[in-house]
Amino acid sequence: MPGKTIKVFEELLEDPQNRLVEQAVKNGRIPIGYSCSYVPEALLMADKLFPVRMHAPGLAGTEIADNYLSSFVCSYARGLLEFEMDGRFDMLQGSVYVPSCTHMQRLYDNLVYLRKPAFNHILDVPRKVNQDTLAWMAEELKTISDKLAAHFHVDMSDESINTAMQKWNAFVNVIQTIGELRKKRYPPITGTEFHQLVMASLASPKDLILPYILDFQKELEGRQGIQNCRARLMVVGGHLHDPEFIRMIESQGALVVADRFCTGTIPGFHPIEPIGGNPYKTMAEYTFARTLCPRMMEEFDRRLNTIVDTVKEYRVDGVVLEIIKFCDLWGVDSMPLVTALRERGIPVLKLEREYRLCAEGQLRTRVQAFIESMGK
Amino acid sequence: MKLNTVIDNTKTRIVLLPDILKSFLRNSLLGYLFSAPHPRDALVYMKYWSMTGVAILIFLGQALFKLGPLGLVRSLIKNPWILTLLRVNGLANRLVRGRSGMYHDSICLTVHSVALGVLEQLRDMLFDPKHLVIFEDLVPYDIARAMGLKSYLLEAMGIVLPIMHSDASLQYIDEAENAGMNPDACSLPKATVGMVLKGHMPKGIAIVSSNMPCDAGAASYAFLQRAYDLPIYRLDVPYHFYNERAEKLFARDVMGMITWLEERTPGRMDWNRMREICNGRNYMLEMETELWDMLRIRPAPLASEAVWLSHLWHFNITAGHPISIRHYEKLLEMARKNYTNKLPATENEKYRAVLWNPPFLHFIDIFSWAERTYGVTLINDSMTYNHHEPIDTTSPETMLRDWGKTIMQGPMVRHTRGPAENYLDDIFRMVKQFNLDMVWIANHVGCKGGQAMNGILRERCRTEGIPLLILDYDLSDPRIVSHDNMMRQVEFFMENVMKAQRLH
Repeated sequence: MPGKTIKVFEELLEDPQNRLVEQAVKNGRIPIGYSCSYVPEALLMADKLFPVRMHAPGLAGTEIADNYLSSFVCSYARGLLEFEMDGRFDMLQGSVYVPSCTHMQRLYDNLVYLRKPAFNHILDVPRKVNQDTLAWMAEELKTISDKLAAHFHVDMSDESINTAMQKWNAFVNVIQTIGELRKKRYPPITGTEFHQLVMASLASPKDLILPYILDFQKELEGRQGIQNCRARLMVVGGHLHDPEFIRMIESQGALVVADRFCTGTIPGFHPIEPIGGNPYKTMAEYTFARTLCPRMMEEFDRRLNTIVDTVKEYRVDGVVLEIIKFCDLWGVDSMPLVTALRERGIPVLKLEREYRLCAEGQLRTRVQAFIESMGK
Repeated sequence: MKLNTVIDNTKTRIVLLPDILKSFLRNSLLGYLFSAPHPRDALVYMKYWSMTGVAILIFLGQALFKLGPLGLVRSLIKNPWILTLLRVNGLANRLVRGRSGMYHDSICLTVHSVALGVLEQLRDMLFDPKHLVIFEDLVPYDIARAMGLKSYLLEAMGIVLPIMHSDASLQYIDEAENAGMNPDACSLPKATVGMVLKGHMPKGIAIVSSNMPCDAGAASYAFLQRAYDLPIYRLDVPYHFYNERAEKLFARDVMGMITWLEERTPGRMDWNRMREICNGRNYMLEMETELWDMLRIRPAPLASEAVWLSHLWHFNITAGHPISIRHYEKLLEMARKNYTNKLPATENEKYRAVLWNPPFLHFIDIFSWAERTYGVTLINDSMTYNHHEPIDTTSPETMLRDWGKTIMQGPMVRHTRGPAENYLDDIFRMVKQFNLDMVWIANHVGCKGGQAMNGILRERCRTEGIPLLILDYDLSDPRIVSHDNMMRQVEFFMENVMKAQRLH
């Protein structure tokens, strides 16, 4: 069933700096890497800038990173450091990080120490939301905007940022429309395909990948819905970049219909609604609303309710909670989360995993057992 | 439980009886006297032994009066860890071995004053539940005291228990892991969660937590709040906090906490009482700074537990409290006597060390062992090392701002956030300030933030020519790295890197 376009997405995910990034760079545009959903992509779409979600496809070992970060740090952070040290992000002209967790914070410290990049910024995102922290976040966004303007000589005026927000909205509207198809009784798209589409989009210039996405959307219109799945699953957790992880779950007869992870679309892919004249305030509010990371100290109930609502909306049979080994935020948070979901009658499978897909056999067995435990 | 299991467990305990008896005798007063201490030291030890014993008896009398006989028994059943605290004189016994003179006395004093502090904490925890507010560690409850509330630090017993007895936290760590908490998380939040899961920590009327010091600690409050079903206020320290903008944001946050507490508890802010507490803090800071100045002398007049254990309790938990002020006054007096008479804490001070990251809670004896075996003297540690200004008590606004700065820039808080310099610069600053010979990193397996700095630190130490020992351990769980293994790591370092000879 996979069509031509999905092969394009697959190919774009083979390299952290794919051919579309290369093409944009050749045209004089400026790629800025980022690794956390608390970085508003729209801000990095102003003028010649474009955001590239940093991922580490085909990560084999992390020998250098282990020396600096230790092997007790999450394998995503180690993977990024390893790729940086191997020059796999050499096209990126700058990076924006968030001290979203200790691992990301220390990754930034080690990068600054080892690579001394020309443009690097850490965005100080508060861990709770109120009027004071919203104002703080808006100021943070203004600071980075000024820094980008000064360093890259790009237009970071309010007008330019508003245009970038419109471009972002056009992009997320398409993704959201495709995502809505997953609510259908027989969705025409698998979880693997959807994740390939989203990840490829996040790792490419949006305008250059948009034609492919539109082609894919047309292709979906002519497709039959998937009828033979054993269970509809939702995947919840932190960073999940490799679509092969979803494929592994679906190989057991399940269909992943919803995702609440860092690079997923729930609740993240909604258009930005401008409020007042200050684009930074708008973006600050949007950023807090779109992400549901356990780093935010007061959002357990929102996270739980979003999952419960999604389960109903997407007719989900069970939730797979995926946690990268050594992630304290998700690791600790999963304890009350699993209990709360089970109390609401939602079956949950907690899977501890590495950033790259490994120990597939074990994972398959556990998914299979989970589906069977639901009587599917 | 099956009969076979009960029989097996009983057998195991019987087999362990001789060791338990031996350890009991060794840590008893009799055991101490049999270790042939100097008669003067023995007299001082017995003085503190009796004073601590009397303080415990007074506490039990008060508990009997306040809670009634049944209430006291119920409290002991609900909080069985209280019995572990009775080993406090055994702790003093372990720590003073091989130490003499004023150094010996300062350790007796420190253990005694911490015991008094713990008893105060128990009074707050047990006697007045309607005014009890739970605080996360690293948020000192000065403000709650100023508001007339009773408080306790939820993590405090997770810190104190393994110091008393190595295995004391294990049942709680296991409980948390069995409930689904990730085993690789720091064992302190695990122990805390385990204590709450077992129902071994009293419930108050509200919780105050924060984003300090680490992800596991902060994230555990999502569970803790649900377990207690209490309202919670969370303080948020920004990543970049060395600037006026952050100071203002945090001061507003602290003010938000005060308003929130006033709305949800019977407490009312009394700024005069807050001023007294802040003045007490300032006075303690002044005394501690003088103590550090004396520690710069080689050999140091006092060291080890007298320095770090004093700070750990008296600054983090009861700063500005009369017990803590009195403790620092006496400690300073002892240090001055040694300093004036040019008497070193230990005659064998061959190497001066700093300990970075939290101390080895389940094996704090390692310092006295290293002191006796290689002459390694622990001069200071990262949890103690402050360098903030005194609190300006002119107005509520200045107190809020400066108290907030004290928290944001306090040890561990500033080391776990902000750029790498916050972590690294203090180490090298201490090396110079205290004329140190080596840096010991307490490489807690659960502390990912610390682990991830070792690579840079190793290279920086190499460049600066400072010997570095990265000592692997787990904060509260001796099953991860045993005491023997920890001593072996020190031996390898001392013999291979420092080329040191054993003293005995």
